[in-house]
Amino acid sequence: MASLKFSTLCIIIALIVSLILFSAFIALLVMISPSDFIRSLETKEMQYSLKLTITTSLISTFLAVIIGIPVAYALARKDFPGKNLVKTILDLPMAMPEIVLGITLLLLFGHTPLAQFLSMIGVKIVFSPLGIIVAQLFSALPYTLRILSSSYETINPRYELVSRSLGYGELETFVKITLPLSKAGLIASTAVAFARSVGAFGAVLILAGGVYMVTETLPITLYLNISYGNLSMAISAGILLIIVSFITIFIIEKMGGGKLWR
Amino acid sequence: MRVENLSVDLDSFHLRDINLRVEKGEYVCIIGPTGAGKTVLIETIAGFHKPSKGRIILEGEDITCKPPEKRGISIVYQDYMLFPHMTVYENIAYGARKKIRDKKSLEEEIMRIAGIMGIKHLLDRRPETLSGGEQQRVAIARAIISKPKLLLMDEPFSALDTRTTEKLRDFVKRVASEYGLTIIHVTHDIVDVWSLADKVAIMNNGRIVQYGEVEEVFSRPADNFVADFIDVNILDGEIVGSSRDVVLIRAGDILLKAKANTVIGQHVRVFIRPEDIYVTTEQKRIGSECFRAVVEKIVENGPYIHLYLSRNEIVLKAILTRGYAKCLGLSPGRQVYVHIRPENIRVART
Repeated sequence: MASLKFSTLCIIIALIVSLILFSAFIALLVMISPSDFIRSLETKEMQYSLKLTITTSLISTFLAVIIGIPVAYALARKDFPGKNLVKTILDLPMAMPEIVLGITLLLLFGHTPLAQFLSMIGVKIVFSPLGIIVAQLFSALPYTLRILSSSYETINPRYELVSRSLGYGELETFVKITLPLSKAGLIASTAVAFARSVGAFGAVLILAGGVYMVTETLPITLYLNISYGNLSMAISAGILLIIVSFITIFIIEKMGGGKLWR
Repeated sequence: MRVENLSVDLDSFHLRDINLRVEKGEYVCIIGPTGAGKTVLIETIAGFHKPSKGRIILEGEDITCKPPEKRGISIVYQDYMLFPHMTVYENIAYGARKKIRDKKSLEEEIMRIAGIMGIKHLLDRRPETLSGGEQQRVAIARAIISKPKLLLMDEPFSALDTRTTEKLRDFVKRVASEYGLTIIHVTHDIVDVWSLADKVAIMNNGRIVQYGEVEEVFSRPADNFVADFIDVNILDGEIVGSSRDVVLIRAGDILLKAKANTVIGQHVRVFIRPEDIYVTTEQKRIGSECFRAVVEKIVENGPYIHLYLSRNEIVLKAILTRGYAKCLGLSPGRQVYVHIRPENIRVART
């Protein structure tokens, strides 16, 4: 009886929290009429922002996953000196405010020998669209690493040992055994990296600057238009961000074998 | 295959000065208590752990520093480790691809081994749809098809029921002789040793404490640990009489006849397997001398009864079938007669 009461209480709390969140989404959706939303979508600014957001997010997601695959493998499977320190450093952007991440990246790519070297070879990161990708990448990478590491850790290392004993080298074993076995983690990490990249704001604002129709991603559009008092554009940007997040979660559920609705 | 003075240092475990020699085509079982280092030893032979000392020689070649994929050693684990993203056919083919490049030959070889292992009907199935016994047969097929110079098996039957284990022992026996395999098999089960092995190594605390022919090790344990582990009674005695190849041994106040060539006055150690002790409730002549003892403890163990018999300071363990023990109507404190045939008593000089 007591456990029934407890489980009922848990369900009630879950329903209340989701209802509050759902109400917030609905509040956003009913703030503007469909015609205002479509008009906002037709503006050059929104189209530029949407295109830039999708493009930069795809690139930063690709980079986060490509970097994440070997790095997470090293963290999950290998022992090396300073591993815990490396782990902490790579996790740090997840714990610190995005705006602080932005400042650290701004200093790294603006006032260091690395910045001078990049400038010498013609690479401009600060206050440029490239800066958006860098900011999105470092915002998304810790999440990618976490998900991929957990995914590798759930794979019994004996699969790899058996493969090695059958004549397959370390890389071949990784490609033919470890990666296919971590498929669910790979899909989840890609989706989460994309969602993080699309929603990255603080780091993008500081490193790439919130420049109108230059480094203007959807969160920046929302911020700029709120500042100007253009509520319809700001809300439209917010709705677009929710749609992108919803599609991302839907993909995770679908490809990860889960069910969005039961 | 030779392992010479091998030591391995892991975080929480050490292997010390392991020496092992396995001839081509030989079947060696390694037994020992949990945590003895059996798995670490075979994983080191496979190349998964780096030894801190010693060498591993396979077919005349020093493979100590070679990576696992270059050793030609396959491994089968108790939890099968079939790749879940592949079918049974693909799993077996995975084992063969490095050796057989031609598609037709590969298919023929897979069908041949699948036939021997009785898994032809399973080739299109996914591993998770197979029973434990079927999965282990696939795992063994995958390991064998890679034509290993040495096959390592880590408790391959421990997750299976008795009947499936018996069947698998037959499969392994057939495959081992058909392919002329050299096998090292880690097990907890003495029955595996009796039914499969030519030689047995007993491990304890990261060392091999005894290695030799199965009959030899099981009848002459090197020390009390081995005797206890493989369940052999040990008595210390003295030769008090001798005629031709039969000697009379006094152990405590028990007189035993044994087949041995030792002189009177020689101190000896006597080894008797529990299943070689015959118990009656009446004094009979059944081809051996008998002595009286008292039933001290009765322990039920599946279809068998473990009987602890005492006579003064000496305690002997005997194994009886449940049915025979019931016939005798045994209970603690009951006096019985103990018969041991001279040929079942092994004698070693001390």
